[in-house]
Amino acid sequence: MSTGAGNGAALAPRSPDVTSSSVYADGVPYDRFAEMRATPGLVWHPYGEDGFWAVTRHEEIRLVSRQPEIYSSAVGHTNLWDLEADALEARRSLIDTDAPDHTRLRRLVARAFTPKNIRRWEHTVRSITGQLLDEFIDAGEGDWVESVAAPLPIRVILTLLGVPVEDSAYLVELSNHLVEGTTDRPTLAADAYGNTTDPRLLPFNSPASHALFTYGEQLGDQRRAEPQDDLVTMLVQAADDGDRLRPEEYRNLFHILVFAGNETTRTAITHGVMALADHPEQWQRVLDDRSLVEPAVEEILRWSTPVLHMRRTTTGPTELAGTAIEGGQKVVMWYASGNRDEAVFDDPTAFDVGRVDNPHQAFGGGGPHLCLGAFLARLELIVLLQEMADRGLRLRRTGDAVRVPSNFVNGVLSVPMAVVA
Amino acid sequence: MSDGAADEQVVMAVDDTRCIGGGQCELLAPDVFEVDDDTGIAAVTAPGLLDRVTALELLDRCPSGAISFAQPAP
Repeated sequence: MSTGAGNGAALAPRSPDVTSSSVYADGVPYDRFAEMRATPGLVWHPYGEDGFWAVTRHEEIRLVSRQPEIYSSAVGHTNLWDLEADALEARRSLIDTDAPDHTRLRRLVARAFTPKNIRRWEHTVRSITGQLLDEFIDAGEGDWVESVAAPLPIRVILTLLGVPVEDSAYLVELSNHLVEGTTDRPTLAADAYGNTTDPRLLPFNSPASHALFTYGEQLGDQRRAEPQDDLVTMLVQAADDGDRLRPEEYRNLFHILVFAGNETTRTAITHGVMALADHPEQWQRVLDDRSLVEPAVEEILRWSTPVLHMRRTTTGPTELAGTAIEGGQKVVMWYASGNRDEAVFDDPTAFDVGRVDNPHQAFGGGGPHLCLGAFLARLELIVLLQEMADRGLRLRRTGDAVRVPSNFVNGVLSVPMAVVA
Repeated sequence: MSDGAADEQVVMAVDDTRCIGGGQCELLAPDVFEVDDDTGIAAVTAPGLLDRVTALELLDRCPSGAISFAQPAP
C-alpha cells in the first residue's frame, strides 16, 4: 500500500529512531521529539513495511484522543505494531475497543475508580506506604524500585481487586515479565508457567499472561463460591449475569487491571523520586510548603509519562494539522512529547513542583480511553509525598537507573537510592 | 477575562448512552452530578444548576462527551 508520505509530509526517521526500543534504554529521545513538534503538519514515520503518522504536539494529541469515531482503538492494535486478526480478538481489552463494547466494559469497572470511591482507600494506601517507607529508612539504602515503587502500587491494586496480599510478589514477577514482552528481549520460554497457548495470542506475547489469566480465573471461581466486597466479585457477578461480560473479557479485564494498576504507577513513583533526588531544591519547596504536594504530583506525572505512546487507526479519510490522512492509516500519539510541548508548558524541560498550569497528558489526551486509574494513581502519589515529607525523608541516588528498553512504557527496572542522613 | 456571565447558571444534562463513568463531573461539581454505584453512569441531581464557567470546564474535561447544557436556567 502506498502511504501518505508522498504528499509533502516530512520524513522520519532522523536519528535517533523513536520506534527503536533499544534507544529508550538510554532515555526518551526528547530532542528528536522536539524536532518533530517543530515540523509543520504531521511527520510520516516509516515503520516496518509501512509507517505511521507521528502525533507529537499537545493540541493534536488532544484532538485524536477526543474523536474516537475517526481514530479507532479497535482496528489493528493500540501499539505501533499490528496484531494479526486472531491475536487481536484473543487479546482485546478495554484498551482495544470502541463504543459500544468499550462503554459496556468501562462502566463495569468505572464505579470502582471514581474520585469518591477511590478516596475510601486513602487509609489503606497510607498504611501500605508508611510501612514500605519505614522499612526503606531502616535499611538506609536499597533499590528504590524493588523496595518501594513496585510493591506499593501492586499491593494497593491487589487490595482493591481482592487478591491476597501474600501473592503480591508473584504478581510483580508476572508483571515484570509482561514489561519484558514489550521489549526486544523477552526471556521466558513459550511453555513457561505451563503455557500451551501460542504466545502470539497472549497480551505482550508473554506466557506470563497465561499465568495471570489462570490466576484471575481461579480467584474468580473462589469469589463465585464465596462473594466478597471487592472488584473481582463484582466482575464475576457481571460475567454470570449473561451478556455483560464474556469469559475472555473477564480474563483480559483482570489482566489489564493488574498490569496497568501497578506498572504505570511504579514508573511514576520511580521517576518522581529520582527527579526529587536530582532536584533537592524542589523537594525542599514541598517540605517547606505542603500545599505544593498536589502540584508536585501533577509535575511528576508530566515528567514521568509512564505510557509513552498509544496508537489509533483512522476509520476513513480525514485531516489533522493540515495533513491529509487516508483511511486505515496508523496515527501514533507520543504522550512523552506532548508533555514537553513548549506551546503549552512554560520551560517544559524544567522540573517545577510549583507549576501552575499543567494540563499534562500522562493519563492520555482526554476522550473515552482516559486512564481509568487516574484518581487512584494520584492518590498513591499524593500519599507517598505526604508520608515522605512527614518523615523528613531526603533521598539521593547512589548509582544509575536501569531503564526498560521499550518504546511503549517509560519503565525503570532498578535505581539504587540512599537516605540522606 | 470575566465578561459578567460567570455567575450565570445553566442546566446540565448527561447522555446516558455515552457516559463511561469517568467521574470528572462528580469531582468538579459534586452537588450537581453523581456516578451511580450500580450502573457506573453519571446522573444529574435535580435541579442540575451549575455556573457557566465550571460548566464549560466540565464540557472540556468529560472524557466521553456525555455532558451538555440541557437549557439555560430560567
